[in-house]
This record gives sequence, C-alpha cells and structure tokens, in this order.
Amino acid sequence: MKRSHLIALVIIAVAVAALIGSLNDSSSYADLNEAFAQPGEEFHVVGTLDRSQPIVYEPSVNASLTRFTMTDLKGRSCEVKLAMAKPADLERSERLVLIGEASADGAFHAKDMLLKCPSKYNEENKVTAGIGSDN
Amino acid sequence: MSYIGEHTWAGQLGHFLALVSFAGALLALAGYVLFTRGNDPGWRTVGRIGFRAHSVAVVGIVVTLFTMLFNHWFEFDYVWKHSNTEMPLRYIASCFWEGQEGSFLLWTFWNVVLGNLLIRRAKEWEGPVLAVFALVQGFLATMLLGVHIGDVRIGSSPFLLVRELPENIGLPWTHITDYLQKIPQFKDGRGLNPLLQNYWMVIHPPTLFLGFACTLVPFAYAIAGLWTRRLKDWMAPALPWTFVGVMVLGTGILMGGAWAYEALSFGGFWAWDPVENASLVPWLTLVGAGHLMLINKRKETSLFTTFLLALGTFLLVLYSTFLTRSGVLGDTSVHSFTGEGMLPGLLVFMLAFVALSVAMLNTVASNRRFYLGLCVVMLALGVGLRVQVPAILLFGAVSLVMTVAAYRTGPFHVEAEEKLMSREFWIFIGSLVLLLSALQVSFSTSVPVFNLLLEPFHGVLAPLAERTGWGWLNDLAQAKLAPPANARAHYNKWQIPFAFIVALLVAVGQYFRYKDTDRRRFLRELSLALAGAVALTALGTWLLGYRFTELDLIALFFATTFAALANAFYIPKVLKGSLAKAGPSIAHVGFALVLLGALISTSRQHEISRNTKGPVLSLLNEDFNDSKDMLLYQGDTLPMGEHFVTFTGKRQEGVNLYFDMDYLSAEPNRYHAGDTVRVRNSLFRAKDDHTPGPEFLADQPAHWEPVETFSRSALWRTPRWTARRPGGRTFALAPLVQLNPRFGNVAEPSTKHWPQRDLYTHIRYAKLDTLGDGFMPARLYERNVGDTIVTPTCVVLIDSVRAVRDSVTIARLGPDYTVYLLNMKVRDLYDDSRWFEARPVVIYRFDQPVGSKGFAIPQLNVKFDLATVKGRQVGLNVSEREFVIMQAIVFPGINILWIGCILMAAGTFVAIRQRMRGR
Repeated sequence: MKRSHLIALVIIAVAVAALIGSLNDSSSYADLNEAFAQPGEEFHVVGTLDRSQPIVYEPSVNASLTRFTMTDLKGRSCEVKLAMAKPADLERSERLVLIGEASADGAFHAKDMLLKCPSKYNEENKVTAGIGSDN
Repeated sequence: MSYIGEHTWAGQLGHFLALVSFAGALLALAGYVLFTRGNDPGWRTVGRIGFRAHSVAVVGIVVTLFTMLFNHWFEFDYVWKHSNTEMPLRYIASCFWEGQEGSFLLWTFWNVVLGNLLIRRAKEWEGPVLAVFALVQGFLATMLLGVHIGDVRIGSSPFLLVRELPENIGLPWTHITDYLQKIPQFKDGRGLNPLLQNYWMVIHPPTLFLGFACTLVPFAYAIAGLWTRRLKDWMAPALPWTFVGVMVLGTGILMGGAWAYEALSFGGFWAWDPVENASLVPWLTLVGAGHLMLINKRKETSLFTTFLLALGTFLLVLYSTFLTRSGVLGDTSVHSFTGEGMLPGLLVFMLAFVALSVAMLNTVASNRRFYLGLCVVMLALGVGLRVQVPAILLFGAVSLVMTVAAYRTGPFHVEAEEKLMSREFWIFIGSLVLLLSALQVSFSTSVPVFNLLLEPFHGVLAPLAERTGWGWLNDLAQAKLAPPANARAHYNKWQIPFAFIVALLVAVGQYFRYKDTDRRRFLRELSLALAGAVALTALGTWLLGYRFTELDLIALFFATTFAALANAFYIPKVLKGSLAKAGPSIAHVGFALVLLGALISTSRQHEISRNTKGPVLSLLNEDFNDSKDMLLYQGDTLPMGEHFVTFTGKRQEGVNLYFDMDYLSAEPNRYHAGDTVRVRNSLFRAKDDHTPGPEFLADQPAHWEPVETFSRSALWRTPRWTARRPGGRTFALAPLVQLNPRFGNVAEPSTKHWPQRDLYTHIRYAKLDTLGDGFMPARLYERNVGDTIVTPTCVVLIDSVRAVRDSVTIARLGPDYTVYLLNMKVRDLYDDSRWFEARPVVIYRFDQPVGSKGFAIPQLNVKFDLATVKGRQVGLNVSEREFVIMQAIVFPGINILWIGCILMAAGTFVAIRQRMRGR
C-alpha cells in the first residue's frame, strides 16, 4: 500500500470517527415526558417559565440554587432546580432551554440554562401596537 | 402625502445606491468575464467601470447609513432599532454593524477595498480574479436590496422607514403627517445592546470581517487558476494575501476572545459557541491553505489539496454566514442573529459558490457540463417541486462525487512518492490535520443543520435506530439532536489531540529541509529544544499539579513548549539571528504560546469564591466549600482564596452601577496564650503563643485546651478560630451591572491582572436600586399569632400582638390612632440555642396603617417591619441586610495567551513583508 493511500485512509477514518463522535456526544431536545421517562439521562428541554408559580431564590441559604416551574412545549409543567444564581432577566424570558436531567424527586435538575429574551422584532411590534391604539 | 420632519431623501438615496451597487457588480462581472474569455482590453475597461461604480455606491451607502445614525433620524427602522441619543458617540460604529444589514455592509465594504487594491496590483490576474469578486459582490448587494419580487423578498434594506415595515403598513398612525412630532416613541431610538457598548466591539467586528474578506482573495485566485488553466501560477500572487488573512482573521478571533473576557460574564475567553466556532473554522483551513501554497513548488501531489483548502476556506466562511445569520441555529447559540427571512438568500449564495467551485475543479469539459446540468436539474427540483431538503442532499452527494471525479480525471492525479524526512511532507500532513480539526468543529456546530436535513428521512432512520439501539440515531431520526451538553468537554476531547499533533509539527517543521533531511543533523539541532521542553513540562506539571490521568494536558503542555522553544532557538541557530527572516519562527512561537496560555488558563482556572454563609459552614477547614458563588454582606470581610474581600458599597455612574470591593491581604493569624476561640459549640483556650496551622484539628491537642464551662452569651461573643486574618488593603475591584430596562441588566466583570495570573470577578446577584437603606427587598409573610416563619436565616415565633393604649401614647398621638406591638422570638436558623427577641411596631389611624417602626437584629443580618395587623393575623416584612453574590475566578497564565497573540500577528506581518520584498 502506498503512503498516500495510507494517509487518505487515516484521514477518512478520523473524519468518520469525528462525525460519529460529535453525534454521539450530542444530547437531545426532549419534552418533559421523555426526560422523566429516562431519569439521569441528559436532555435539553425547551419550554417557558410558568409565571403563576413563584421563583424561589434564597441566596443566603444556597447562592447557586434557583427553583421555579417551567412548562414545556407540550404543556407539561414541572419544578426546576437550577444549580445557578438566578439570572437577572429570568422573569423577562420568553423561552428557556434547560440542560440537565430528570430526578427521582420529581424535579428537573438543570445545570445550565439558555434564556431567550424578547427579540428585537417583538419589541418593535409592541411599540407600534401601542402607537396604533393611541389613534 | 408628505410627512413632516422625515429625511426621506436619505432613504431614497440609500435605496438608489443599493441598486447602483448591484448593477455595478453585474456590469463588472460581465466585463471581466468577457475580458477573461476574449482578452479584449475594452471589456476590461467595462469591468473596471462597473467595479468602480459598485465601489462608489458601496462607500455611498456606508456614508448614508453613518449620516442617518449620527443625526439620530429615528424615522428609519435601522437607526431606531440600533441607536439612541443617550449613547456615547464613539459607539455609533458599533450601532452600524450591530444589525444584520450593517454587518453585511461592512463585509461588502472590505471586499470593495480589497477588490480595488487588486485592480491595481493583480496585473494579468485582474480579469478572472475581479470577475469572482464581482460575483460575490453581486450576491452581497442583493442582501441589502430589500426588494420584493412577487412574494419573495430579496435581502433586507437598512433604509426602510418604520412606517414602511410590512407589519406597519396600513396602520392608522402611518397616515398622520406629523407622526414624528406627535408620537413620543420616535423621540428616541431603542439603543444599542449594552453588551456591545464596549471598545472591543468597535474594533473586533471590522477586523473579523476584514479577515473574512481576505479569504476571498485566495478563493478568487484559485478559481482564476482553474479557469485559465494555470494551475500553479496563481499561488505566488495569492500567498501574501492568504497570510494577511491568517493574521487579520486570527487577530479578529482573539479580539473576540478578549471582548468575551473583558465584558461578558460567562467566565472565560472561549466558550465553543457556534458563532465563535464559525470564525475559527475558516481560520484553520486558511492556515492549511497558506502552508500548502508554500510547499507547492516542491510537492506536486498536494496540488489538489491546496485547491480544496483555498476554495473550502471561503465556502466555510459562507457556511458560517449561513449558520449564524439564517436562524437555523435557533436555540443553540446565545448570540446569533435571528433569521428575519434571510435563509433562502443565504442558502442560494452558499450553494451557488459550492457549485462554482466543484464545476471549476472539473477541468474536463464534458464532466463540467454534466455537473452543471445536474445542478440545474436539482435547482429545478428544489425550487419547482418544493422538495428542497432532498434536493440539497442530492446536490451535496453529487458535488462530493464530482470532486472525487475531478481528482481522478484531472491533471491533479500525480504518481509520486516523496521522502518521509522532507519538510513538504510534514507541512502537508499538518495542513490535513488542520482540515480535520476544522471538520470536527464544523460537524459539532452543525448539529441543528443535521436535524433540518434529515427530517424528511424519518421513515428510513427510525427502524434503523430501533434495530441498532443507538441513541443518537434515534435522536437523528426524530430530528431532535441537540448540541453536546458539555461543549467544552466535547470539543476538548477532540481538539486537544489535534492541537498536540499540530504543535509537534510546528516544532519540528522548520528543521526539516526540503526534499530530504539528514537525520543526525535534524536530531542534533532539535536536542536542546527537546531537553528544554521536557524540563519545562516537568516543572509545569509539578507547579500546576497535573495528575497522571490528565496525560492529554501534560502531552499538550510538552508539545506547545517544545514548539515555542524549537522555533525560538531556530532564529539564532539556523537564521543566525536575522530578524527579517524570522517571521515564520516568531509567528510559530506565538501560535504555540496561544495554545499554551489557553491550556494553562482553562485547565487550571478555578473559582475562589465560596459560599461560607449558610448551612454547610466551614467547620474546621476554612477552605471547605459547597459552591462557586459567594454571598457577601455589605461591610463584612470574608476570606476568599488568598485574599480577604470586603463589599464596601455601591455607586452609580450613568447607567453603570459599580460594586466596590476591597481586597485585603491575608496575614497568618497569631494566637497568644490565654486567647479563647469558638469552634462549633465549644470554646477553647490557647495554651501557648503560636501561629495556627491550616486546620484547627491539627493544632488542637498541642496548643488548645477545651473550656469546660461557659455561658451561652460567651459562646456567641467569642470569635471563631481562623488560620488567617485580614491585613492591609492591597487592591480594589469594581465589577458593575449596566442597568438597561430594555435589554435587561448586564453584569460586566472586573479583573485584577498580575503577570502570572488574573483574578476575574463578576456580580451574580445584587439589589439593583440605589436606595440607601442597606437592606435587600423585603419579603411579606402573612401569619397568625402562634405561627412560625422560617426565613433564609432565622426561625421566627410570633408570640403575641397587642394594642398599646396607654395614656402617654393617646396623649401624644390623639384618640384616632392605635399602636400595635408584635412580640416575637427569633432563632438563628443554624444555631438552635441562639435566641433573640424582636418587637416591631405599626401605627394605625382608624383601620389604615400610617407608620411603623421596624426592629433589626444585626447579629442575624435581618430586619422586621410590621405591615398590617388584622385581629390575630399579622403581615410581617422580613428583609436581610444588603448583600451581593459574586463569583471570582483565577485564570493562571492567561498573559501567555495574549503575548502569543501579539507574537503571532507580528511574526506573520514580518513574514509577509519578507516575501513581498523577495519577489
């Protein structure tokens, strides 16, 4: 076998391994039902903040624990224990992506969270809607 | 209808210039294509006129947009959305490129600058190279057109008036002629995202986009080479541009890192965010392309790979643009643009250039026609039959097959075997490793794209997933793949081995000679660097405490120190100290130091902030921790790492709320005979004078004897045992929170720099108003007499409430008033023997509370305010003394990274200059 063929083979092998590896390491988007069907397994859960329930953050007890309730896109709610200080704009968020796992205690234990705050577009609409109703 | 106060002419001018820029690019394209085919200088003149017209129009657009922003013409949507009157003028530039349209404009502008330079300098290459430029500029110009053809909107114009936005057309207010005066929202714009109000954001985007623009030069030359069948000649003129791109893009990426480190509070300079990855990937392939061009004179077999990398780099720039601007990343990136209808345009832009590249690679005319025919068929499938995803996948597969076919059939297939001990062979291998590294980052960033592409194939994949039982295949089948939850771990796992190989090759590369190298001489020249690297690695492993399980980190440490030393020694040893020739070596030292600094600071960054308040209190060892964040009451001094820290207060300057933190040195404590200390619930008396050890237990029998009997109050009064005590003030930091009601408040870090490490601190949680009462916002508890309240710090028993109606009160307040006094017992939540009493008071006039007098218990950092009394029900406000939660991270060795950046840029500059002179 010639050296160039060997190199080509090695490269293809590493590229395929990288592709499979990146897929294998990826976690998955899920709703709460799926997350709770496999407790301990890591998921990304997309949902919204349930504003009817309190956001509990007691920094003097544990500065990196925030508890709140989220509703996933299918409407199921559950308590979330987020191992972080409460982000300043949690209340303003329109969408949450929680990264973590379901736990046997019935709560979703999140180690990280991405917040999507009102986009530029929505805010734009809000202002113009206000203007429209003035007249 | 005419509106009062609108600067409609500016918008019309902008629209007009956008059209001119598009038409100019088309004219230039036509002129240069015909010139290249027929070599008629008349067509070159047409091409030049077209490109000049395009350039003037683009500069005109930039000036118009800046004028609108400078003058605060808020009737324009772009101005209203991205700027306001309060913002410092120096950030106008940031407003310019904050939005989708402005950043496209910036990219277009840099392409114009480079294109005009090339018109002057490209000589015989002008025709084909400028034709490619014109094509790219044509596509970019459509992104700013904002015209509608049927239902399809092409591009997005920054010159739209707010009343012209699709969602506003027809609304009643758009018919008012003086709406600008009447409607208050138009008095001021929405302002710039506070994260972007930073000096790094003024220089980082232009640098990055200049880097992106530079990748077009090797692409255009490569296409030109294929077009004119001068498969090798294009490299010499393209080479300096390629390394300018390497330098500028690399600097831009690291400036982004500096911005993240200085202004963002995610705790670091690199987070493997898709937007960051999107800029890193083209840099990796560009470096590979540049190095392959260097060796191509001597290595025939790498010709095809050179083309692949030179073409691929620009295609990856287009792919990054597509990823970050079309909205496909969706939930996976914090700072990508939202789609805003750009997806189809960007997709067409990218796929068109893939098709162009593959078509040009197929030098056999029949193959090229066959491929282009297939492209047209697939375009028809995608657009006409609306089966876009299968059409795109088919296109990808066909393009891949045709690329392989181009290699097999074209002039690239060279049967030659080069020597193992040659420089060209190892540079070639290094470029391939860079390509693999880029591919891996691309794959992992593209996870959301896989979902989109594979959604139509659910029916095929689902049974396959069931049979194999592979979780990811199942996710793929359901199109629910999410990016790796632990991005850093995932990327490190792959990129550390790649970095290791690349660093080793960087170390030895220059010691190889072209063609063949004498093994003994090679080893002799490298021996000193090798020995030095082994010694430094041993030292570093010991200093940083790398364990055997972190072998990958030790290996990378070795490879990077080896690379830095070998290249540094190369200058005196081989180049005899000639700095003019030392460019590559300096750049390589810089590259190695960037890797080394990143390795040290990310592998050994550690939070030194600990939550020492609360239930899991440090009992015997003050270094015990349960958390990464630290709660600090105003005025308290707490140990943190090797410092003591005090939160002295906060101050507001403009929109910034600064939290002043004093850092005090930690002095070893000293106990004298007879001193008493408290440890948990016992008291100890010192037997002799001594300096305490790290833990109390280590000292206890030798230096301390227990105190047998003591009163409870003595227990509380006695200070706790500590190994160290606060000394003098050594420095102060003021992390801040930028108050911004519209975008949300943003915490910005404050960092103390030392040569060997940084202390990086930021606020996680704080009271954000500036009321000076010194207490956090209260929490209201409504309870009955006899109930218990558990607050975060104490347990409250509500004993009794009584109305005070003695003669003194009545005489002083009058008969309409009633004073209620609440009797409470308060216990420390964490110490069940520590009791206090509290008596807050509320004054009622008839049945309305009109005043109150709170009751504070300083020992528990808490204050009680009685809000209401209704029979036996009381409303009690409990507030804690003001505190902040902060995080402090130590980054060791981060200055190695910054020094590396500077060396890399400087070295590349020297190397380019040397090469330009040599020509």
